[in-house]
Amino acid sequence: MTAPTRVETPRWTGQNYPRKEDRRLLTGQGRYVDDRGMIRQGYAHFVRSPYAHARIVSIDTSKLENMTGVYCTLVGEEVKEMSDPLFQIAPPPGGNMVEYLMAVDKVRYQGEPVAVVLAETRELARDAADLIDVRYEPLPPVVDAIAAQEPDAPILHDEVGTNVSWQGTYEYGDIDWALAEADHVVKIDKLHFHRFSSTPIECFGVVVNWDRGTDTIEVISNNQMPMFGAMMIAPSLRIGIDRFEFTSQDIGGGFGIKINLYKQTGVLALLSRKAGRPVKWTETRTEHHLDGGHGNERWFLDVEVPVMADGTILGVKARAIDDAGAYLHYEPLGAVIWSQVLPGCYKMRHFRIDYSQSLTNKCPTVPNRGYSRMQHLWMLERIIDIVAHELGFDPVEIRKRNYVQPDDYPYETPNGCVYDSGNLPLSLDKALELIDYPKWRERQKAAEGTTKRIGIGIGSTLDSGTNNFGQSRIINRELPFSGNGEAAICKLDLYGEVSVALGTTPQGQGHETTAAQVVADILGISPEEVTVIPGFDQARNSYVGFSGTYASQFAVTGINAVIGAAEKLKAEMVELAAMALGASEDEIELAEGHARVVGDPERAIPFIGLANMIYTNNAELPTEVAERISLNCRHVYVPPFDPPDPDRKYGNLTLTYASQIHAAVVEVDTETGKVEVLDYAAVDDCGVRINPQIVEGQVHGAAAHGIAAALREEMRYDEDGQLLNANFLYYHAPSAAEMPHIKTDYVESPSPFTGTGAKGMGEGGGAPLHAICSAIQDALGSDVPVVADSFNPPERVYRLLHGEGLGAGRGVEVVSKEGS
Amino acid sequence: MILAPVEYCRPDTIDEAIEALNSSPDARALAGGQSLINVLKMRAAAVDLLVDITRLEELKGIVRHDDGSLEIGAGVTYAELAESDLLAGDPRAIAQVAADTVDPQVRHRGTIGGNVCHADPINNFPPLMVALGATMHVLGPDGAARDVSAEEFFTGFFTTAVEEGELLKSITIPALSDGASVGYVDLEIGEAAARAVAVVRTEDDQIAEARLVIGCLPIPTRRPEVEQALVGTPVTEEAVAEATAGAAEGVEPLSDADATAEYRKAVIPVVAKRAVLAAAKGGHRG
Repeated sequence: MTAPTRVETPRWTGQNYPRKEDRRLLTGQGRYVDDRGMIRQGYAHFVRSPYAHARIVSIDTSKLENMTGVYCTLVGEEVKEMSDPLFQIAPPPGGNMVEYLMAVDKVRYQGEPVAVVLAETRELARDAADLIDVRYEPLPPVVDAIAAQEPDAPILHDEVGTNVSWQGTYEYGDIDWALAEADHVVKIDKLHFHRFSSTPIECFGVVVNWDRGTDTIEVISNNQMPMFGAMMIAPSLRIGIDRFEFTSQDIGGGFGIKINLYKQTGVLALLSRKAGRPVKWTETRTEHHLDGGHGNERWFLDVEVPVMADGTILGVKARAIDDAGAYLHYEPLGAVIWSQVLPGCYKMRHFRIDYSQSLTNKCPTVPNRGYSRMQHLWMLERIIDIVAHELGFDPVEIRKRNYVQPDDYPYETPNGCVYDSGNLPLSLDKALELIDYPKWRERQKAAEGTTKRIGIGIGSTLDSGTNNFGQSRIINRELPFSGNGEAAICKLDLYGEVSVALGTTPQGQGHETTAAQVVADILGISPEEVTVIPGFDQARNSYVGFSGTYASQFAVTGINAVIGAAEKLKAEMVELAAMALGASEDEIELAEGHARVVGDPERAIPFIGLANMIYTNNAELPTEVAERISLNCRHVYVPPFDPPDPDRKYGNLTLTYASQIHAAVVEVDTETGKVEVLDYAAVDDCGVRINPQIVEGQVHGAAAHGIAAALREEMRYDEDGQLLNANFLYYHAPSAAEMPHIKTDYVESPSPFTGTGAKGMGEGGGAPLHAICSAIQDALGSDVPVVADSFNPPERVYRLLHGEGLGAGRGVEVVSKEGS
Repeated sequence: MILAPVEYCRPDTIDEAIEALNSSPDARALAGGQSLINVLKMRAAAVDLLVDITRLEELKGIVRHDDGSLEIGAGVTYAELAESDLLAGDPRAIAQVAADTVDPQVRHRGTIGGNVCHADPINNFPPLMVALGATMHVLGPDGAARDVSAEEFFTGFFTTAVEEGELLKSITIPALSDGASVGYVDLEIGEAAARAVAVVRTEDDQIAEARLVIGCLPIPTRRPEVEQALVGTPVTEEAVAEATAGAAEGVEPLSDADATAEYRKAVIPVVAKRAVLAAAKGGHRG
């Protein structure tokens, strides 16, 4: 007789297992918030400020008082009575802000809600809202983040006393020494990262009922970080977290923007309480553009870059001015989150970044795919290309020279972050190979002197995932946050079914599939046999404070929570099986829906038998076992973090660093300035891929968002603070037809810190913005100003071709040592 | 976005439709709704009655007359134009322009009549109709009927010669001179920001006849001086560029979130040049 061998179970992890949720999502069977409702619900419509900055003189709702079908109204003054100001993340001065759930006394951006109507139908609510008479006294608006810091600028929030909501200096190494020692110093006047949004195709939606009988608040919404939302509004509503039940099923895109859905939820809860009935609100596209939240706009001023004769870049000195818009929503966390990628992909060691954040009369900014790191990485990539261009280095060679090298990992950055793994030179080689780099260099030469110039650009980025929330203490040392985590519950149900409850709020990321794949491998069944309960429900108790789907982390936090829960369940099942089969635990394997003795398949018990032992036949078990084993296993994954040091602004701020290296080939029409993408390649390295096709889908989505942001999309305000493109007629979000073919490849550098080797990768690092700016610069050459704006529609490129740039002259200056 | 309350009717005949349109000064004809419904959602117009004309057979159909002219019903959709056997290969480029309009969903609902009557400066057909010398057949109450040339049809920003209570029935587009072709070129920034349509006939590599219309303006605008300068010009980029250099003189493009008027004026000669060259080389787009 041969020694018993364990049955090789199929390895589901790593396969392109077809997405379990696609059956419903692709056949119109998804259940989104607007598909939901509650008995007796009314429909809410907000009255919004037409002004960017104005004093509210009066709000007259009297015409609605006896209107048939209108249930009630709610205005800022009532909100002030019924609730408290929102908790602020910022320390003073920004933290002195008094922000109620709806505008009181003053409005600070166009589209800010000042009143809300509840009526029997959505149409009636909309029409009734027109009958509310709001009188305003317009005030001068502040729309420019730099001008907002001038001493004579109008102040948005009197209690803050300044338009600078946060300021801090990030200094590492010795930048003054580096600037003195360098052979060349490249100085760039001004760089501007523009304001745009990933515009989820489903706008915000909330159905909320403040139940008078139980004093609980049921919230069906598409909030992508519900427990953050609950933490923000519970104190304001003067209730506990235990009063809430946040739920969601399917969500039509989030990209970070749907973290911003807490304030509306709070005011609608108050409306429900006042009306004594459920409230449904579905945001329109124009409302979403005006009020949903935009990505951060940022200026980089007085950039100085020390460069050695061999092309080694020593560091960066710059002033960054971030534009937060009118309120601090999730901000000023962006003021530290960028420093997760302080040196980007490069081994620079000397930095002084003076970072400040302005309040302006524009829509509040919120996390948007690539949140806060993308802006900084764009600056670094602009620096690399400008340095290469001005000093005559090859853009490929200068990157390879300065990249963190494959044998440097784990690599500690100057601010204490630990880059886990990667192979940037190989990723770049693969990207260049995908586009056939030498061919395009030849075509570029051939096109010289014509009106159709060709440029080749590279974007090197990192997608830092799994935040250490302790970094919030660098912003405000009083904040009681650190670490991160996620919960999951894995359960064997009464008839032996395996089900999983997540703490996440997927918006298309395929969590039901990847969770099922890893559970299937642990329990020896197929992903088909694992039910991952769709959506989020606070009542399932599968959540922690950080729960949600955001910030490139499911592959680490979510999956590790699922693995932990499945392993706990497996241990319980094995213990029961060993007892039932009269074997020792190490003889038991789980395979084909049974627990069985290795090498003796006759001695087996099906999952239903194990379930029976606990749920419906427990008198046969020792009491100790029946009370201890539940087959209902909750696990919280906690990544290994320490709180950072706020004094030195130092610590490991994120657990994983996926990389994206993109290469773009563009054609610039010199007669019109129009840029066309001729070829495009994206190489992603997110370590071990749980489901490669899902990873590739994310790469495509991030590439589309970035390409469109670079060439088509800008939230454009005029000098009065009016948003000029608050709908899809004027704001040019792309469809598939407008996208170039995207060639993809990957490198697999497993993370040593995540157990599975996987890294979060959903956001991408905004690589297309970097690659396309780089390609445009390459096409335009040295005779014109540098590409200093991240947004390059035809007119901007045309103006560059005619000598009009963002800074003085060409916007760049090189100071070299004698003999260099 | 949510519409204000509005009455709706769907008449069975063109006469009933015109009667309905005359029942209120704020009645509007509803064809494919690709523009009008958005206008109503934005509450940019006060409309109290929508007269649905989508099922009127009299507005359907494309006819080729003996003189080579085409008569296209106002209710013909872009998809029907794009797929019409009668228009396939026709040098007037109507099918190609229809096929390039937005996306399949819009093309299956939007109509040529709606496109010209809405008269949004960015709409595809108005400058083409002017360049082709089209005639618009307009019906009014009590059997009134009148013809308006395309050049007189477009009267301003979102306004046409179709008066309250009237309805565009069809459009007649004359045959091109033998050997003439249409060049249709726009610069797109999400939406078209500058557009030129040229109808050109060449003889011995020289331009013998030319019509040039600039679009994306409040009114599609012919450029007679440029047309004259083009006659006798050799079909080379340099010569055509010189002749079209003044294509933007005197026009007043719009400024919006996509581009300033100054920029649009700078690129109008470029699209004009390209449209003329495309036409001279026998093709629809440059």
